[in-house]
Formats: sequence, C-alpha cells, structure tokens
Amino acid sequence: MRRALRILVMATLLAFVMAMSVSCAKRATTKGEGEMATKPEVVSSRPEIKGEKVEEIKEEVIKPEEGQVTETEMAKAEEAGREMMAKEEITFEDIHFDFDKYFIRDDAKPILEKLGKYLLENPSVKVLIEGHCDERGTNEYNMALGEKRAQAAKNYLVGLGVSPDRIDTISYGEERPLDPRHNEEAWAKNRRAHFNILR
Amino acid sequence: MRKVAVFLMMLSVCLLGSVPSGAIVYIDINSPGGVKIPVAVPYLLPEGEGAEKYARGISEVLGEDLTSSSIFTLIDRDAYLQEVTPQIFEPGGISFSDWKMIGADSLVLGKVSLKGNRVVAELRLYDVAVGKLLVGKIYRGPARRFDMIAHKFANEILYQYTGVKGVFDTEIAFSARKGKGKEIFITDLTGRRIKQVTSNGSINMFPRWSPDGYKLAYLSYRRGKPAIYIRDFLTGRDRLLFRTGGFKSPGCFSPDGSSLFLTLTRNGNVDIYRYIFGEEKLVRVVSGYGIEVSPSVSPDGKKLAFVSDRTGYPQIYVTSLEGGRPVRVSFAGYYSTSPSWSPRGDWIAFTSMSEGKFSIYVVRPDGSDQRLLVTGDGSCEDPSFSPDGRYVVYIYRKKGYSELRITSITGFGDRLLLRGFKEIGSPSWSPRR
Repeated sequence: MRRALRILVMATLLAFVMAMSVSCAKRATTKGEGEMATKPEVVSSRPEIKGEKVEEIKEEVIKPEEGQVTETEMAKAEEAGREMMAKEEITFEDIHFDFDKYFIRDDAKPILEKLGKYLLENPSVKVLIEGHCDERGTNEYNMALGEKRAQAAKNYLVGLGVSPDRIDTISYGEERPLDPRHNEEAWAKNRRAHFNILR
Repeated sequence: MRKVAVFLMMLSVCLLGSVPSGAIVYIDINSPGGVKIPVAVPYLLPEGEGAEKYARGISEVLGEDLTSSSIFTLIDRDAYLQEVTPQIFEPGGISFSDWKMIGADSLVLGKVSLKGNRVVAELRLYDVAVGKLLVGKIYRGPARRFDMIAHKFANEILYQYTGVKGVFDTEIAFSARKGKGKEIFITDLTGRRIKQVTSNGSINMFPRWSPDGYKLAYLSYRRGKPAIYIRDFLTGRDRLLFRTGGFKSPGCFSPDGSSLFLTLTRNGNVDIYRYIFGEEKLVRVVSGYGIEVSPSVSPDGKKLAFVSDRTGYPQIYVTSLEGGRPVRVSFAGYYSTSPSWSPRGDWIAFTSMSEGKFSIYVVRPDGSDQRLLVTGDGSCEDPSFSPDGRYVVYIYRKKGYSELRITSITGFGDRLLLRGFKEIGSPSWSPRR
C-alpha cells in the first residue's frame, strides 16, 4: 500500500515534470507544490478540465506492471521538479502591502524587477495578478483595495517595459486569505499581490 | 424558487369595523429610551380543523415582531386572566378590566380558519385603557405564509402607535460562506425563514435591492472574473450586466429604479458610474485618482454618498448629482466606509474605525450632528437602513465569528437577527413591497 502510494506520487511528479518540459501545459502556476492544487481554480475559467487531466494521470500510474520507473529515473525527476520549483519560487514570490495602502513597498521592488525581467525574456508568457487584503475593513472597500494593489503591481511591471496587454488583474478582497488566523502576523501575510503565470 | 410565489403572495385585506381617522401618535419613536407599551397577544381562536397550528403561529410571530420593535413589551401568556373563547368576540365580550389588571395597555385578539390551503385570519387591536377598537383586519393568504399575515398586522399595530407603518414584512439579503464559496441569502426579520439566492460555489456578494423589491443586483465570480448580475425574482432569471474590466460592485438602484449606481474599474481607476436601463448607457458620476466606491443615493435621487480615499484614507463624501464638489461628511476616525442613506433622508449611517475597532456612526447628510450608534468588543460594520429609516441592520464580527444584528436608530433596542453563518457580509434591507 505504502509502496503503491510512493510510486503514485513519484509517477505523478514525473508526469508533471514531463508535462512542464514539453510545455504543453496551458496554464501552470509558479509557486510551491502546495499551491498547485489551489491555483487552477483561480486562473482557469473551466476548472473541470484540470480535474480530468489529473484523473488521466492517475489512471496511467495505477497499472503496476507498466512503466516500472527505476530509482535513478525517479531521483532525476524529483530533482528536476525541485529545481524547477525552487527556481520559479524565487522569481515569483508574493509582494506585500501596508494596511489600507496600495503603494509598492521597497521590499516588493526586487520581486517585481525579477518578474519583469522574466516576462521580458519570455514574451509569450502572460501574468494574472491577484490583489488581496486582510480581513479588517468592509468587504466592498477591500475588494476595491485589492484591485488597486493588483493595478499598482501591474503599473510597476508596465514601467519596466512589459506590455499592459500581457498583464491582467483580479481582486479577491479579503475572500481568499493565505493565513486564516486573526492576528497581525496573518494580516501582514494576507495583504498581498500574487502572480499567476499563464503560458 | 422559479416563480417565487412568496413574493407574489397576494393577501386580500378587508377592514373590520371603523378605523380611527388618522393614527393616534402615542409615542415618539425617535426619542431615545422611550417607555415600552405592554401588549397582550393571546393565542388566536382556531375555528375548524387544522387551524390550531396557524392560530398559535400567527400569535407567536406577532409577539416576536412587536417585541423586536423595541416599542412594545409582550406580557407573558401565562398571566392572562380572560380565556379566548368564541364569546370574547361577541359585543361586550372582552373583559377589559381583566386585561388592565395584568398591566396591558394594548390587546390583540383574533381568530383563524383554514379553507383548503389558505388561511383566513381576523385580527383586532384594542386600546385596553379606553376599551376601544383601534384597528381590525381580515387577511386571506396561503397557509404556508401565515407569518406574513402576522407581519402585516404587526405593521398596522405599529402604525396605530407611531404614525408610521412597520417593516415586519420586509427582508434582508446578505452574503455568507458556504463550503468553498460565498453565497447570497435572504432572511425575514425573525431570522428563521431563510432562502438561498445563489448556489454556484463561487464568490457572490453585495446584494442590492431594486426599489420595488423584486430584483437583486449582486456581484459574482461564477465565471472566474467578477461580474454584476441582476436576479429577477418574478422570472427567477439572472441578467448579466457587466463582465469586462477588473473590480466592480453594484452600489444601489436610483429611487425610481431607472438606473443602477455602481463601481467599475476602468484603465486602472476605480470610479462610480450610473448605468441607465433602457438606454443601456453608462455615465461616470464620481471620479478620482484612487478609490471611489460604495455609492448610496439620497431618497430624492439628487445626491450621492460614497467612499473616497482622496485624502489618503477612506472617508464618506456627499456629492450632488447635478454637479458640484463632493463634501466630506465623516469625521469619526481615519477609516470610514460603507455609507447607507436613510430612506427617510435624515441620516447617513457608516462604518468607522478608531483605535483598531470598527463601529457604526450616523451623521446628517450635511456632515453635522455625528453620533456613535453601535459599538462592541468586536467589529460593527456595513450598516443598511430599514425602509422606514428607523432601524439599521449591521454585521457584528469578532475573530472569524459573525452575526447579523438590528439596532434602532435611537441606539436603543439592539437585537440579534441571525447567527450560525460564517463570514456574514454586506447586508441589504429590502424595501416594502
């Protein structure tokens, strides 16, 4: 049982890495594995397609006699996946904002510069910027505030030379907190702009 | 929910006996801390099979309504000396001295019968002190909406004592978490009859009533990007109004229902627009460099209260729709949002933060006479006025817990309307129908 699970995880990872390298994946996110599960719902207007794909991959790997992946292959795949994620995680970190503010803080600028550079080097890539707020304040004002945060990040990228056509924004206000707790630490995390890379 | 018969329910009403010409204004509801009127509401007399349930039901809802108004206090039913029998309805059948003895100023008597799936209720309100009928009415309606009959008569009772009809038959729309999504719900004023308006598992928020109470504009993320829809309860259909662009939010309908004030993001700017139905035209009414959001129109349709962060912090402004400079009216704290203009025109309620806590304030539309209305150990937010301008519904929330509460504009008679939902938001009080 455990072994089967392990093979499943490995094979899924391998399939994922292959999919990424062939660049046939229409949409992918740029953050850690934990985020992968939640992102498609955000960026895809047809989340059910994503679900089917995951299903297909699972069906493939459950057959034990087929495609016995060697340990080294697995290790390679693992490493490749880690590298890819590690590389992209550095590039596309969330940026954070002060309470009730939407100006770009100094600590956000290096992240945006990296993202801008990446976008200029990869002209086919588009980005969807999500604006988020902490739970304090009224929902409607926070929705507007989230939009202004996403817009501020967009403007910064446009200032770096990225075409505005390649940047879309969406506000989730206080509806999708990263950290559900009700304290300063959580609030600081939740006041963010998140970048979804669309290939 | 397709035809929404609940909204279309027609109650035929007949007058019983003579109604006093003009209402007797016993109390000034606007004066704080007024004395409450003790009222006796014995169970109605059931006539015929199956009427018992409705006899009790109507009496109970009536009692709750009157108590919730913060104008009446209900005398315990165990204390009543005279029993309700058929004889009580005969001339001279009411022993007013018995009712006086238990301290009742006011007495509600009635009987109910069932005709198929419709109820017929005869209801009478008496002034105990002078032994006089104040108002009597016969209601006929679908049995399952017996509560509406109680609400309608409670409205009449309030009218007799205050000169303004009650709002017991109105409803409140709100959003709340359900599963992964946020859906829109409607509750009656008892908090027990709740209808779910949306069920798409996405984010649905900011319900706003049309002036006739048959439509609800709202925001939905059901297609990924935020879009404004209008639900028509008469047809059960949704109309997609705006989809393109970023953040958007329905603000309020104009008092004549011919247009919708809303917030839209265009070219990165969050501004307030007016969408004119029929002409399908969009006119920008308030603009700025930052955030202009949450329009609330005055009852004469000539002015607009809204939120702007033009000074660096969100505050409430009032602008004339005929032109002119917006005037700031909120001076409570450095963060003030969500204005609601009273349908009576005399107050604007809003949320304001001071010392990290959100409270509800009211202010005159010219910015004078600002008062703190509700505060607590959690946050009090998002006020919405009742159609008679006497009450405000608002959200109370604290560390993930939330509830809907109703407070009297005098600041007295704050009560819980609804709990048990997660992340209750943006309540909107329906007009009278």
